[in-house]
Amino acid sequence: METLAVFVLSEALDLADGDQELFLTLANLFMQESPKELAAARSALARQDARGLAEAAHKLKGSVLPICAPRLFERAQRLELLGRQGEFAEAASVCADVESCLAEVHAALRNAIAGGFPS
Amino acid sequence: MPLHSTNGLVPSADSTAASSFLVATILLVEDEPVTRTSMAARLKRLGHRVLEAGNGREALEVAGRERPDLIIVDWMMPEMDGPTFCESVRRDPTMKSIYILLMTSHDQPAQIAEGLARGADDFLSKAASKQEITARVLAGLRTGRLVRELEVTGAQLESSLVLLQTKQTEMEADLQSAATFVHSLLPQPGSPAPGLSLAWEYQPALTLGGDLFNVTAIDADHLGLYILDASGHGVAAALRSASLMTFLQVDNILRQIGSYDPEKVLREANRQFPLSAEGEYFTLWVGQIHLPTRMLSYASAGHHGVLLSPNERPSRWLTRPSSPLGFDQEAVFVSDQITLQPADRLFLLSDGIYEAASPTGEPWGRWRFQQAVEAQQHEALATTIAHCFTEARRWQAQREFLDDAAVVGLELSV
Repeated sequence: METLAVFVLSEALDLADGDQELFLTLANLFMQESPKELAAARSALARQDARGLAEAAHKLKGSVLPICAPRLFERAQRLELLGRQGEFAEAASVCADVESCLAEVHAALRNAIAGGFPS
Repeated sequence: MPLHSTNGLVPSADSTAASSFLVATILLVEDEPVTRTSMAARLKRLGHRVLEAGNGREALEVAGRERPDLIIVDWMMPEMDGPTFCESVRRDPTMKSIYILLMTSHDQPAQIAEGLARGADDFLSKAASKQEITARVLAGLRTGRLVRELEVTGAQLESSLVLLQTKQTEMEADLQSAATFVHSLLPQPGSPAPGLSLAWEYQPALTLGGDLFNVTAIDADHLGLYILDASGHGVAAALRSASLMTFLQVDNILRQIGSYDPEKVLREANRQFPLSAEGEYFTLWVGQIHLPTRMLSYASAGHHGVLLSPNERPSRWLTRPSSPLGFDQEAVFVSDQITLQPADRLFLLSDGIYEAASPTGEPWGRWRFQQAVEAQQHEALATTIAHCFTEARRWQAQREFLDDAAVVGLELSV
């Protein structure tokens, strides 16, 4: 897990076919939507709703793909699996990982947006 | 496939292959907005018109209204998931042939099988590369276009079939009417003149036959009889035969020739019915019986099918070598005479009966017909004729004849 990058801007731009404007749109959309999915996952975890947890983690995982944030993707994927298996004890720990990874990605995205893109 | 504008987007260089081939309307169904926005942008970049829906129910409504060329749908969605959406599309006759790509991270064989079984055409991974997305979308559009072309062709074929069936029914009705008319021209079985009885059986190869015959009173003392055979069979032969039959009507012959002398009848028929442009012709046997003396005069134009079957004596064929009608305008047809005896039987027959071929190709032959007639000499005339048909059918091992088959029997009373 430690070897995975938080966010890879060059790959994210590549996934957006080099379209910086599209990437900005996707990044802003991600920063707007991902907290909702995290909240949904936390809520499902609190009420021991395995299916709700898996669905929220799945949705979050999907939204990470275009952003190219490998560490968060891996944690969200793990959380989805634990949700499916109803492993709430481990899921609580992984959910905390997801939350910190998400914060890292948000920070990285804000930096990237503020710092401009490589020409 | 409808072509659409590119929504104002200029295709990039790497989408040239796609935009030059197929530009289509694609419905993208995905509840997660980042993925949806990303995928929509890619599809628009390829030059496609992209419609978006956030869940399956909304997508069904958009699909019903817009009839997209291709649908990309996420597997996991609230309300209605991807496979359930696929099932709904396949149930709708107006949408059932739309190509569907199921978007998923599932790559287990069982899950792929489930997706295909529930109506997906192919899968698209959310992590698919730009090249893979392009390739799968293009493959889907190509397939979808072929399916629609097949549907259109199928529908055209179906309507052509209905039209053909209608025409066929009309034609069969017309043929049946014509056959009924031709049958009305054939003689009534029974007694055509005092001291004579008549029976016949006729099995045209098609609804309408080209072989025709008649036995009819000319005046109080004379009976005319003939059998004609048009080359070929079917409608064209039947029409030509009906024309010759009209010529051979007693009133017409008496008006044109003055008598039913077989020699003169053949000479005039030979003049009026030359070989057709298609090479079709007639053979014709004409006879006239003088009733008080039982004298039969007869002549033949290439027709070999009249058998005299005298009571208690061997039968013989009444014919002499001659050419069919229309081959030679100067042809001379010679009459022969014979005095018929009480209980004599005359059989006029078309070649369809004695040329009936066995499964190995051997014709039944005139001599087998002759044997069948002689073996039945003491049976009723109609029974003898029916027996001949039974034997010919047995020989050819099938009920229907390949050519018109006719046997006309005339019997003098004792």
